[in-house]
Amino acid sequence: MIVLDKVDKIFPGTTVPAVKQVSFQVDEGNICVFVGPSGCGKTTILRIINRLIEPTSGDIYIKGKKVSDKEVNPDHLRREIGYVIQQIGLLPHRTVEQNVALVPRLLKWPEERIKPRVKELLDMVGLDSNEVIHKYPFQLSGGMMQRVGVARALAADPPIMLMDEPFGAVDPIVRGRLQDEFLRLQKEMKKTICFVTHDINEAIKMGDHIVIMNKGELVQHGTPMEILTEPANDFVKDLIGVDREIKLLDLTRSSEIVDRNKEVLGETREKDCFISALDPVQRALETMMKNDSDIVVVRDGEKEIGTICWGDIKKLINKLSGEA
Amino acid sequence: MDFEMERFISALIDRSPPHALVHLQLVLIPVIIAFLIAFPVAVLLTRRRFVKYTDRVMTFFNMGQTIPPLAIIAVFFPFLGLGREPALFALTIYALLPIARNTLAGLKGVPQEVKEAARGVGMSEWEMLMRVEIPLSMPVVMAGVKISVVLTSGTAALGALVGGGGMGAVIFAGIDFFRPELIVAGTLVIGAIAIILDRIITLIDYMLTPPHMKM
Amino acid sequence: MGFLSSILHWLSNFYDEYLGFINFIIRRWEQVLEYTANHFSLVLTVMFFSLILWISVGLLISRYEKLANTAFGIGNILFVIPSISLFGIFITIPMLGLGRTSAALALILYAMMPMVRNVYRGIKSVEWPIIEAGRGMGMSPRQILFQIQIPMAWPIIFAGIRVTVVMITGIATVATFIGERNLGRFIHHGIARESADMIIAGAVLVSVIAILLDYILGKIEDKITSPGLRKEQEQS
Ligand SMILES: Nc1ncnc2c1ncn2[C@@H]1O[C@H](COP(=O)(O)OP(=O)(O)O)[C@@H](O)[C@H]1O
Ligand SMILES: [Mg+2]
Repeated sequence: MIVLDKVDKIFPGTTVPAVKQVSFQVDEGNICVFVGPSGCGKTTILRIINRLIEPTSGDIYIKGKKVSDKEVNPDHLRREIGYVIQQIGLLPHRTVEQNVALVPRLLKWPEERIKPRVKELLDMVGLDSNEVIHKYPFQLSGGMMQRVGVARALAADPPIMLMDEPFGAVDPIVRGRLQDEFLRLQKEMKKTICFVTHDINEAIKMGDHIVIMNKGELVQHGTPMEILTEPANDFVKDLIGVDREIKLLDLTRSSEIVDRNKEVLGETREKDCFISALDPVQRALETMMKNDSDIVVVRDGEKEIGTICWGDIKKLINKLSGEA
Repeated sequence: MDFEMERFISALIDRSPPHALVHLQLVLIPVIIAFLIAFPVAVLLTRRRFVKYTDRVMTFFNMGQTIPPLAIIAVFFPFLGLGREPALFALTIYALLPIARNTLAGLKGVPQEVKEAARGVGMSEWEMLMRVEIPLSMPVVMAGVKISVVLTSGTAALGALVGGGGMGAVIFAGIDFFRPELIVAGTLVIGAIAIILDRIITLIDYMLTPPHMKM
Repeated sequence: MGFLSSILHWLSNFYDEYLGFINFIIRRWEQVLEYTANHFSLVLTVMFFSLILWISVGLLISRYEKLANTAFGIGNILFVIPSISLFGIFITIPMLGLGRTSAALALILYAMMPMVRNVYRGIKSVEWPIIEAGRGMGMSPRQILFQIQIPMAWPIIFAGIRVTVVMITGIATVATFIGERNLGRFIHHGIARESADMIIAGAVLVSVIAILLDYILGKIEDKITSPGLRKEQEQS
């Protein structure tokens, strides 16, 4: 869907390339996460994709079409690509409604189509549309602004989204919630997404595919599991950090280690002790800690299919660290 | 009407100097008096007891600034008559506003954290004023003095109308007798006075700035 | 009764002494109207050309940084030239001479500094991420200028217009010395004839007009500022 071919970017007035010989491909309907330390060129790559800046050399293809051609009007290209910028960049003199409706209005949608769309979008990103629609950006909290930023990028239903640290400006708890909600949305939307973060945990959680960057170069790319289990070098290992195993728990579904034979114990059937078979094992661990118990009940839909106990998780960790 | 170099040079060298001296007085005396009045008053207005009035006073000053210079120069004439004094009086009033405004703005602009810190190390109100607030707001205050100098220097040209003399006398003569060289010469001298005074204030400001704040 | 009449006596003395200008204004009402009309027509002419010229220049220098320093240099020089000199210099230019063109040109030059500076400041006050967001959404440079930069800069630009109008109204009085028949004329002739009433009438009229203009434009300024920007300013 999106292909970068040997892209270089040297900013005018600098000698060190901000992006060096970067090639990769993002498949349709996937979230590709770019991760790396600050200044490694993540934002630059996004800006090259929607032609906010021109690459020094190399080509960019979207849906097989070479968009780095001079004939392609960059303004029109950008209206087809949702962009969530790192600094949020809501227009302060416009209401939430006007901010979200920006691209549809640029595309000259009829007003009767815009109004319901804005409401739909705001509700979709978890805002109370009636409450926020006539507010100005300064009246919103950081989390609300980021939601509006995402809604604005989604407004014209672009098939491609570029998201630059979209949940960067909020505290970890809100960030976690925004991530969960966005993943749920993505399950229906199936957009092709380039997602930038400097947080490896976010990358592992959000990414179908991860691209690790350092100093403008692509260091490693692969699925989160591949990155965690086969880090290419010390840089990637350091990036993953010491709690690699814990991160792996995030990538293993509970259904994979559920103990289906054990009889479900009565006293574990408290409300919060249930998790879904689709939840990562990490969720089982969190639920245990929250309830101060060492067992959770796994459900598939309404049906209880078994339990996971502390011992099961420990076994998994041992297995995973054995693999490395 | 043509411009003759010879007459221009004569206007500049023979005719201007005595008027220039008077003009300098018409600028310096009002600005100095205005500073001596406006600065302490503005400092007082930012003290805790009066701070609730600062906004209102600021509005008043802003309003004062909208009064046309010619009106200020002229309005004292009926009461004080012709001469240097009414001109000086009017120019002093005119010079007050920018200094007062900038002093207020400068003192209000000292960050709250800095004041907290000063209080934290046990400075008294007076010490804080002398060692923190005034030094930190000096650049803004000096900018106000400069504006005041430039405005007063230009307005002083109108002082000639009420018998105050100065370069205005040369310029008005040029207008009355259609003598461009007099107007240009008068303008150049006034410009020079404004620029020289501006530089001198910059120098004073530099000398007053504590060494560690110099750039 | 004696007490009351002495108060009335005092009041009428006070009126004669200090408020005689009111009589003057009433007596010369038609002249007041004529001068006021002339005054405003000059200010309006100047503002018309200043808005077109200086807003364009302001937009230009906010795009081409190198021009900005030149423009501000010229503006600063104009600022130290006394108004009477600028009027004087213009009337000695052969094509212009005494009259409205000279007065208007001088005033247009005076309008440069506050107008250009505020347009420039306003445009520059729009922070980079906002422009980047606009570009990222696919706005053309023209759309960014008209839908983001100018609306966001507008309160600052309008503040510049307000300062300019008030300033020009004030300086225009001085144009009486090059033949404008405006409110400055009362002051001008009042000094020549040593008529206190005439001087005070002129000074009070122009001052009241200037203050009123400033006040009215200030109210308009509040109205036209987007609430989104207004609150932001209040908070900072
Ligand atoms: N407009 C620019 N001009 C010059 N250098 C730039 C510009 N934009 C980014 N850079 C440089 O390019 C590098 C990559 O920047 P960026 O892509 O913003 O990093 P990241 O988003 O990963 O933090 C940095 O070293 C940055 O200083
Ligand atoms: Mg970045």
